[in-house]
Parts: sequence; C-alpha cells; structure tokens
Amino acid sequence: MFSLYKKELQSYFFSPLAYIISALFVLIYSLSFIGWITSLTKVSLTFSFPAIFYDQFFYFIFLVPMLTMKSFAEERKSNTEVLLMSTPLNVFKIVMGKFLAIGTVFLMIMALTFIYPVITVIYGEVRWSGLICGYIGFLLWGLGCIAIGMLVSSFTENQIIAAILGEAAMMILFFIDHFSDIKWMQNKPVLSSFISSMSPKTRFVGFATGVFKLSDMVFYITFIVLILCWTMISVEKRRWNRG
Amino acid sequence: MIEIKNLTKQYGKITAVDNISFTANKNEILGFLGPNGAGKSTTMNMIVGYLPPTSGQILIDGKSMNENPKEVKKMIGYLPELPPLYLDMKVIEYLRFVAGIKEVPKSDFEHQIARSLSRLKITDMKGRLIKNLSKGYRQRVGFAQALIGDPQVLILDEPTVGLDPNQTAEVRNLINMLRKDHTIIFSSHILQEVNAVCDRIVIIDKGHIKAVDTKENLEDASRDEIVYILKVEGDASSVESILRNEIKGIKSIIDITYSDENTSEFKLSIENEEVRKSLISVLTQKDISIIEIRKVKMSLEDVFASYTRGSDFTTINNDNIS
Repeated sequence: MFSLYKKELQSYFFSPLAYIISALFVLIYSLSFIGWITSLTKVSLTFSFPAIFYDQFFYFIFLVPMLTMKSFAEERKSNTEVLLMSTPLNVFKIVMGKFLAIGTVFLMIMALTFIYPVITVIYGEVRWSGLICGYIGFLLWGLGCIAIGMLVSSFTENQIIAAILGEAAMMILFFIDHFSDIKWMQNKPVLSSFISSMSPKTRFVGFATGVFKLSDMVFYITFIVLILCWTMISVEKRRWNRG
Repeated sequence: MIEIKNLTKQYGKITAVDNISFTANKNEILGFLGPNGAGKSTTMNMIVGYLPPTSGQILIDGKSMNENPKEVKKMIGYLPELPPLYLDMKVIEYLRFVAGIKEVPKSDFEHQIARSLSRLKITDMKGRLIKNLSKGYRQRVGFAQALIGDPQVLILDEPTVGLDPNQTAEVRNLINMLRKDHTIIFSSHILQEVNAVCDRIVIIDKGHIKAVDTKENLEDASRDEIVYILKVEGDASSVESILRNEIKGIKSIIDITYSDENTSEFKLSIENEEVRKSLISVLTQKDISIIEIRKVKMSLEDVFASYTRGSDFTTINNDNIS
C-alpha cells in the first residue's frame, strides 16, 4: 500500500497539478484574509480565522474535484487498473492508498495557509483554541470532499465527468441545510431536523465558533468511512460488471 | 501447474467464455490461439484474477484463486494486451512501483529490476519517461513488469503485437529462454508465432475450445485429410454455391482467395478421391472452366482455419478435441 501511496503522491507533484491547486487555494484564502483585515474598524479590532475557513468552504467544491477526478477514472482509461488488480493489492489497500495520498496533498495545502495566523501573531494576537478547532473542522470537511470526489471518479472513466459530478454532489451537500428551511419542510419537523443534522455546513459551525463537539467529529468521520466503503464497493462492482 | 476447470464468463446475456477446461503443465509453453474476439483476453483476465469468473475454477499450483487470491497472484506475472503503463513515470520508477505493489522483498528489489531490464534489453532506457518511448519499447516495459516478482507463471496476451520483426524475434528468444523455469500461457492470433514457440496449442473460438494438442498431433491428425486446391474461371460466388449445394462429399471449404476479377482459388477438404471426379464433371457441365486442380498437404494454418471458420463446414477431426 505504501508503494501505491508514494506513486500517487508523486503523480501530483511531478505534474503542475498540485502546485496550481495550492496556489489557487492560497490566493483565495489570502483575498479573504485581506478582505477581513481591511474591514477592521476602531470599534472591533478582531476577526476570526474560522470565519475565513467558512468562506473557503464554498470554493472547496471547485478545487477538490480537480485533485480527485483522476484517481480511478485515469486508472481505468489507461488500463492500469488491470495491473493493480492482478497484484496482491486488494481493493481496500487501493482505495486507502489513494485516499491517503490525496489527503496528504490536502494537508500540504492546509499547511501553506498557516502562514496567515503566523503573520497575525507577529502584529497582533491569535486565539489558538478557536484556530485549532477551525483547522480540525476544515480538515474533516476537506477529507469528506475527497472521499466523495474519489467515489464519483470510480463511476466513470472520463475525468471531466468525474469532476462535474463531484462538484454537483458536493454542491448538494453544501446547500442541504437550505432544504431543511423550505416551507414544505416546516410541517415535517422530523425530516427537517434530520436533513439539517446531515448538513456538513451546520456541523462546521460548531468548529468555526471554537466549540469542539464529539458528535460533530463522529459525524464527519462516519461520513468519510461510509463514502470510502461505498468507493470500495463501486470499484469491486465494476470489476464484476466489466465487459 | 495451471488447471482451468469448466470456466464460464457471461457479460449480461453474452457468453464470452463458455465452459472451457484445459491444463498447462509445469515449464510448458501453452499457445492460446484464436481469432480476434474469441475470448482469449477474457480467459487470461480471469486466470490472473482481474475478472471474476461467472462459474468454474482456476487452480494455480493446486491453489484456488477464489480462496487464496493474495498468494496465487504473487505466482503470476501478467502482460495484458495493452501494457498497463503510467506514462508520466520513468521506466525505472515504474518498475520500482511494480516491485513495491508486488511485495518484492527489499533485499531483492534492485536485483530483480536490473535483471528484468537486461532481459528485455531496456537498461539504457531506464531513465526515460514512458510517454516518450515508442510502441515497441512500451511493450517491452510492460513485459519487464510481468517478470518482476519472479513469478512461476507468465500470462502473456499478444506480447509481440506492434513490434518490428527483429523485436518479435527477440521476444520469442526471451520466451524460449524463460521456458526453463516458467509455465507460460501465450496468446496470439498469429499462427507462425505459436508454431515457433509453443509446446501445446489450445484453439479457441467464440468462447469454446476447439482443440487442445501438440502442434505435431494437430498436423498428424490432418495428414489423412484429402485437400485440393481448385482454381477456376467464372463468378466466384456462383462457384461457391455450386460447391456447397450441388456436390456431395466436400467436408469443408478451408479458404477462398480471389486472384483477380475472374479467377478464384478454393481450398477444399474432401471425403475421397471419387468426390474429385464428380466435382470436375459437375463444374464442366455448368460451363465453369477449371484452370488448375492440385493436391496439397494440410498445413497448421488450414487446421486453424477449419477450426475457427465458424461455418457448418467445421467438422474435421472431432475425435481429436479433448
């Protein structure tokens, strides 16, 4: 599994892909950061990093599929899936190897954004507890997005379709809390609260406000594990249906 | 070494491989011969554990692929029809990656990679990106990949496709060299190739096995066949229909070649010499002029053609099919 992980990780850094995506992400992040700083007034001299993360949440929908779209679609198209499947690797190892590699790329991008809290520490003060909570929440949401992106990539051999379907799936998840607010839902409190509790964005609010709740953590982890299991089933199923 | 028992693969309603059984003994080269779309690749994909069979059993060295996939897969090296290459990698990186996923012990890593590079004569290419290599070299990198992990069984799906004649000869030499300590299943639709390297031949067509035997036996079995080449002047299709419908005793039309607009050559297998006489008289009656008729020996090509032509004329030597 380590060889696969290493190969996947290298494939991101041998091509310009990882660099472009991290540059783009840091750019968006810094724009958001500048936006907050310039809007500081004498009355309130504070701003919150988790709020910046909250802004980033949406842009993520467009960035993550670029990392994940090739994971299975490309293997299938270039026939290298046969190689992976005819070696002692099993589907669990293949999916986990790929997931960990993309997760590592994502961690590196996150590490780059750490420069802004550092700048803030030099010129002011940072509330570390809130910041760390924000990072944890952001990391979990990012890994969730990666899992979804990989799942979608395992459905098709066309990378563009994988990217667009991934964006669509994440968009639905992102706006799912709005569905719980619509009028039709109002007379169905059970359904409404169920949908709202399924929303990763609602779950993120806890982290963003510096409150670390175990239930939120469990939600994200369960979500990631479920999607990864589905990916394994999808990869395995494709092998049975191939023809 | 390799035992295939009642293997069947269905894709939905299509049966790609229908209840085939054969065995390959230790250190034997088994040629897998069949026209395109006969089910060769599907069978090979099942042997290496990529495609799960619909039913049937695959035993490698007595171990079942279903029960011990990990152990069995370690014994197999596979070169698929399209070599599974990562174009963005260098040759050496690619082979290291393959050695890694095949769980080659660290101490043996560099030795095995160096050996398969030199066996395929691509040591000079190890620093090149795979996407910059020509088709022949890519095929060789794919072959080098199959040798990593020192597998006892090699499954080679059309290993010489896309190679120039020199490279083809080199690959054949390599296969001959590997036969000492490997069991090899080798597929091809090129007869000479199978003829040159293989100990035994499996002829497969439309998912069915038509014959399993050594090439000598396949040729011997057809020694008693009476085969004539008939060259005629006139409309080829009407001659063909006369041959098929009006003359009794023609076992099969092995081959038809059209030399020019007005002359065509039929290769016929007939029951006895009497048939030749009636053949000539019928054709003369129909005012078709015979340019030439001569007796020939049935070659391995003809055996192959008669097994895989797929018409109702394929009746040669059914007793030889095991």
